[in-house]
Amino acid sequence: MERLRTLRAPLTWRIATVNELQPETTHATTLVLDVPDWPGHLAGQHVDVRLTAEDGYQAERSYSIASPPEDSHLALTVENIADGEVSPYLTGVLRAGDELELRGPIGGYFTWEVADGGPLLLLGGGSGLVPLMAMLRHRDDARSVEATVLVSARTWDDVLYRNELAKVVENDVTVHYTLTREQPPGWTGWAGRVNEEMLRASGAEPSRQLRVYICGPTGFVEHVADLLVQLGHNPHDIKTERFGPTGG
Amino acid sequence: MTVDAAELHTDGNAAAGLLQQIFMAEFTTLERTCQSCGDRNPAGAHLCYEGAGIVLRCPNCSDVGLRLAALPDQYVFELRGTWTRRIES
Repeated sequence: MERLRTLRAPLTWRIATVNELQPETTHATTLVLDVPDWPGHLAGQHVDVRLTAEDGYQAERSYSIASPPEDSHLALTVENIADGEVSPYLTGVLRAGDELELRGPIGGYFTWEVADGGPLLLLGGGSGLVPLMAMLRHRDDARSVEATVLVSARTWDDVLYRNELAKVVENDVTVHYTLTREQPPGWTGWAGRVNEEMLRASGAEPSRQLRVYICGPTGFVEHVADLLVQLGHNPHDIKTERFGPTGG
Repeated sequence: MTVDAAELHTDGNAAAGLLQQIFMAEFTTLERTCQSCGDRNPAGAHLCYEGAGIVLRCPNCSDVGLRLAALPDQYVFELRGTWTRRIES
């Protein structure tokens, strides 16, 4: 019932104020925002951000929430798409103290709460790691929930939250990496697209009754979901969120 | 920029903001039983194609489940299959 109540929210545009900007990688920045009267959110939800030009032209994009429900600030991690309309502004022009129009939280399907339990298998491609990070952060105190993360990125420098991922390992989270384009010298992680062997090594046996979340570009999500179905997973037990080509 | 055909769609999560705005309620957890293949899936799991409007398709058989057109003064909907919405009493 609590969840139903949370989900019956009319959607209104709010004015958020940028509290802080945290560079994550050369292409991604986390916006830490103060949002007056924020109704609260679930890990995995997103917001719509709207920019309005002086001539009235508006551009709208969706960004996953990176912060857990417990945080007092709302954090969004935005990947800069060079020819995009919105992300270059958010990652390059926006400064602390600036205001930003957003609405949310949005979505109820791709969400996870501690009460939902585990074991969790989180599979993130590129910036698809963002909502999964909110889930991991939300899990922080619930070590009883077993969690495995498989991070797929082009290069080591493209991996979001690297320092924090190194720390969650101490919190009983298993983290695997695969780098698809380039691996640093002495790399001991995986290389190339996610394959069946990586999924098996991440504990993806259908008999474990996992809670599976896949997020990333459409091609990544469908490739990984197809592999899991081939391994014997029920498609209905796999939650997916696809980022399209119109990011930016 | 070339776009892979597989990248041309997203899923129901991508349309969630607009659908929540119109329906005044979270939309991605609404379940739909497909009139074509009988599979039951939440709206968030449906494939989403955006163009002049929004089309949600069954993730199992690709049959159309929702069509939405945004006109200057109204939204026009067409829903197919059995959509189930639970409202707290």
